[in-house]
Amino acid sequence: MIVTRHWLNEWIDLSDITTEQLVKTFNEIGLEVDRVQQYRIPEGIVVGKVIACEKHPDADKLNVCQVDVGDATRQIVCGAHNVAAGQYVPVAVIGAVMPDGMEIKPVKLRGVDSAGMICSSTELGLPKTNDGILVLDESIGVLDAGNLLKKYPLINDDLIEIELTANRGDCLSIRGVARDLCAAFEKSLKPVPDRREEKNQIGIGKLLKLEVDADIKASVRYHAVALKSFDTPLLTTLRLAMIEANCENSVEMWLEYAMHSTGVILRAYPVDFFRSGSDEVGDIQIKEDENGFAAVFGRERASIIGIRQEDGSRLKDMQGTVVIEASYIAPEIISQQMSENKLESGPLYYRTSRGSEPELSIGTDFLLTHIEEKDIGRIYGGKLVYSEEFEEKHIGIDIAYVDSIVGTTIDKSRVANILKNLGFDISKSSEEHFIVSVPRYRHDIVNRQDLIEEIVRIVGIDNIPSKPFVLSEADRLEEDYFTFRKKQLYRQRAAQSGFFESVHFIFNERQQLDALGFASVAKELGLLNPIAGTLDTLRPTLLLGLLNAASSNTRNGQKRVPLFEIGSVFDVQRNESVKMALLFAGALHEDMLENAGKPEEVSFQSFAQLAADVLGDVTFEPYVPAHGLAHPYQSAAVYQKGKKIGEMFTLHPSVQKQMNLGRTVMFEGDFDTLVYAKVEAANYSKFQASFRDLSILIPQNMPYKQVAEVIDNARSGEIVRFYPVDSYTDEALGDAMSLTVRFVLQSQEKTLEEEDITSAMAGVLEALQTLLGVELR
Amino acid sequence: MQEWYDAIASAQNVEKLEEIRIAVFGKKGVLAGEFAKMKSIPNEEKGVFAKELNMHKSRLTEAFNARKEILALEALEAGMKAEAIDVTLLSRQSGRGALHPVMQTMDRIVEYFVSMNFSVKTGPMIEDDFHNFEALNLPKYHPARDMQDTFYFKDEMLLRTHTSPVQIRTMMREKPPIRMIAPGAVFRRDYDLTHTPMFHQVEGLLVDEEGKVSFANLKFILEDFLKYMFGDVDVRFRPSFFPFTEPSAEVDISCIFCGGDGCRVCSKTGWIEVLGCGIVDPNVFKAVGYKNVSGYAFGLGVERFAMLIHRIGDLRSLFEGDIRLLEQFK
Repeated sequence: MIVTRHWLNEWIDLSDITTEQLVKTFNEIGLEVDRVQQYRIPEGIVVGKVIACEKHPDADKLNVCQVDVGDATRQIVCGAHNVAAGQYVPVAVIGAVMPDGMEIKPVKLRGVDSAGMICSSTELGLPKTNDGILVLDESIGVLDAGNLLKKYPLINDDLIEIELTANRGDCLSIRGVARDLCAAFEKSLKPVPDRREEKNQIGIGKLLKLEVDADIKASVRYHAVALKSFDTPLLTTLRLAMIEANCENSVEMWLEYAMHSTGVILRAYPVDFFRSGSDEVGDIQIKEDENGFAAVFGRERASIIGIRQEDGSRLKDMQGTVVIEASYIAPEIISQQMSENKLESGPLYYRTSRGSEPELSIGTDFLLTHIEEKDIGRIYGGKLVYSEEFEEKHIGIDIAYVDSIVGTTIDKSRVANILKNLGFDISKSSEEHFIVSVPRYRHDIVNRQDLIEEIVRIVGIDNIPSKPFVLSEADRLEEDYFTFRKKQLYRQRAAQSGFFESVHFIFNERQQLDALGFASVAKELGLLNPIAGTLDTLRPTLLLGLLNAASSNTRNGQKRVPLFEIGSVFDVQRNESVKMALLFAGALHEDMLENAGKPEEVSFQSFAQLAADVLGDVTFEPYVPAHGLAHPYQSAAVYQKGKKIGEMFTLHPSVQKQMNLGRTVMFEGDFDTLVYAKVEAANYSKFQASFRDLSILIPQNMPYKQVAEVIDNARSGEIVRFYPVDSYTDEALGDAMSLTVRFVLQSQEKTLEEEDITSAMAGVLEALQTLLGVELR
Repeated sequence: MQEWYDAIASAQNVEKLEEIRIAVFGKKGVLAGEFAKMKSIPNEEKGVFAKELNMHKSRLTEAFNARKEILALEALEAGMKAEAIDVTLLSRQSGRGALHPVMQTMDRIVEYFVSMNFSVKTGPMIEDDFHNFEALNLPKYHPARDMQDTFYFKDEMLLRTHTSPVQIRTMMREKPPIRMIAPGAVFRRDYDLTHTPMFHQVEGLLVDEEGKVSFANLKFILEDFLKYMFGDVDVRFRPSFFPFTEPSAEVDISCIFCGGDGCRVCSKTGWIEVLGCGIVDPNVFKAVGYKNVSGYAFGLGVERFAMLIHRIGDLRSLFEGDIRLLEQFK
């Protein structure tokens, strides 16, 4: 909503209030100021009167004008198509500096002297009112050649743009905003000029009659005017340009101006739309249309109240007899109907759905008064009116309740004054209790809390003291909090292990997911209105987001890309769960001395170590994921304490190539299955441990797991741990592979003797020989 | 004898010194030779001769040990010198990763409210109309729904547009008093320079008996919280409108970039909007079946906080996993 200082001044006396105070007050009372713009005409711009205007002898598009600038007559060459003798125009005299910094100097234009410039609105720093030069008229004040334009307050105005919240339809007009200011400044609203009808006018009844069906929940008011042709005054044009109104003709400009001033919804129709012959009495019918909306009918539907006007009922000729309509429909009715039955709506729907001014005479009186003042039409006597019944709302409120919600004591008379200034009627039923009746234009006020909001914003939140809240309840360390802490723990570990936390939208592209073999949310449960084709479904995995990020990092020249994310994913049935994923692409280390600037690429093996740093001890089982991202011979199911927690794999070489990545390894697991439990310490031996290595030859295709199972079953209690430390193949070994396993031997009771160790190792070797047929190397 | 003293003192390395040791103290050494002469010396002179010889033996031993120690030190020094490294060649970059700035900011916010005795609550991202809108005093035809462009599913479910539905779920599950925050991702159908279809919020709710919770209490906690997050800033409350609170306010802090003088970030106003808050609307309590209670609620966007605190200019960069941004938070 855009207001200007002088426009507001038509409804509230602002002479003792600075624009700065105005802006501060707007913010304090909940009308957030988005923009302030001051229009100031510079020095050296004067009112000029064009005495004569002739074509330039050598240039078709230029005119040579003689302009009276008060103390002299100047010759000025002007290129505008609309300059004409007799006009008052803004003239920048020699020496004037324009808002864009240009200084006016005497010049020759195609051989003709020009001493000054006739200005357009934009050249003066004003919004654009028309093509060509600005033509002045007395709507901005008395025009005398030579007067400085900066002395005309109405065109040196301050514009303030307010961001209105959705409940404040009552502030969608200059008068409405002024009404709110009245409460803040404790002033009274200036009245709409009383319009007294002249006698002996032809009555509207000779022209039109109004028929309204029962049950129509709307109000209308009609006047008729025989319009003469007219020019829109400059002040109106300028203000409409300031509010960026888009009007197609002079009548629309009048209506828009009156609507923005008063908040009443106004329309105009040609009278012939309601009658078939000029000697007939026309018939305006208000009834429900086929969709149940209250609509205005003439020969056909003229408009739907509160929604739009039909093209066929618009004015085409700016002269002749015109029907002016003011209408009101309650916003709760119109927005409910629209939500059930989406119709194409016009620009006014914004106003009607938020609540336009219900007092229709304010709008019509404003408009008709202007028509009379400017003598641009003959107004028919009387009016046609239909008003729906309006039930006044009453709300009871205790002063003590106000104080308890606000948290401080507010004086009773202050409360009463604020509500009165906002247009509420108050009756006291006791000293501590008010009955408040709500004005019709405040449809947003329905309960006592709404009233408190009004009081708070006028009192000012700055004037409420801050007080800590005291509440004695049990501390709530509970599941959601522990989940939060668990996430924090794993995030910290991942960061400490070199991974960067990454956050991605929970949206993926269905086509990409399908192509890679990921099952995503079933179509019938899918998004109705995705924002983009590449974000058209919910992600079933964190991997794609990380991969796409790795790919773009690589494009940006990153050689080493370690990323992780913990976030929500969704299955086919759209169930939400939390996953954690790690990705490492490209070089394992930064370029440095130790690797001569050529760090090795990450491998499944090196990534496994990093993953274990983040996740804890893990074991791997052969496993090929169902999706197409995994290298089928370098993929594994990841286990922790015997429980599967996720999958790990090298990126499939063809996907790697397609995404322009270096070698990439990834892990994804269910966050719920990751360990987050207290540790219970086990007994440990106080005696020295011994180490023995056993090197055996095994077939190359024998998985280590098979060897480990045999050892595990055969080992005696002294062998507390064993793990592979070396494996190699060469030509001499043929199909066999040498594997070295290291054994840790320790007893709870004593330091082991050599013979204890030998016998323990012999048991293991024997089992390997009998069960697997493997040999010592 | 003197020549041996000189030899010990001038021995240049451990090997030379060892040669001297053998020549002096060895079985066939000089000292052994001298002691052997004892046999042929007359008895009355033996005492003097032996005394002098013993004096030389102990003084030579002393000189030898002293020299040995010096040479050992010199050898150690030389060995270490050979191991000298150029430390200027070895400056290192941390191999650590980093937490995401938005998540770090979220952690800090949660930490504050947990220490103020708020509990942490979470809820589903896929919500129904009742929990996301209806129960929050946003009936179907309410114009304020325009404020929140919603992602809908084909079965009328939707992606939550705020974390307020978590408050509704908590209130429907638990009895007052309630003191909670709901951190999490939320979704609006809006994608341009200053909007992303997903972002993060932390919303707070406090409920107790009727008449106990006031706007003054709300002011206290938010002023305290904003000073914790942003340091010594001024805090301003502006009346505003939200369907679920009444009275409602938007909260500004004095611009942390220009200190309130006016700059590009604060659009020359000196103030930056950071929070929305208010007293819970009675219709919300009605929807969850609470009677005779009062409460306050507030909500904030975590990305906005992170951008202000860390001076990050581009909202969208927060969702790109770009290491050039992330590595700065190591």
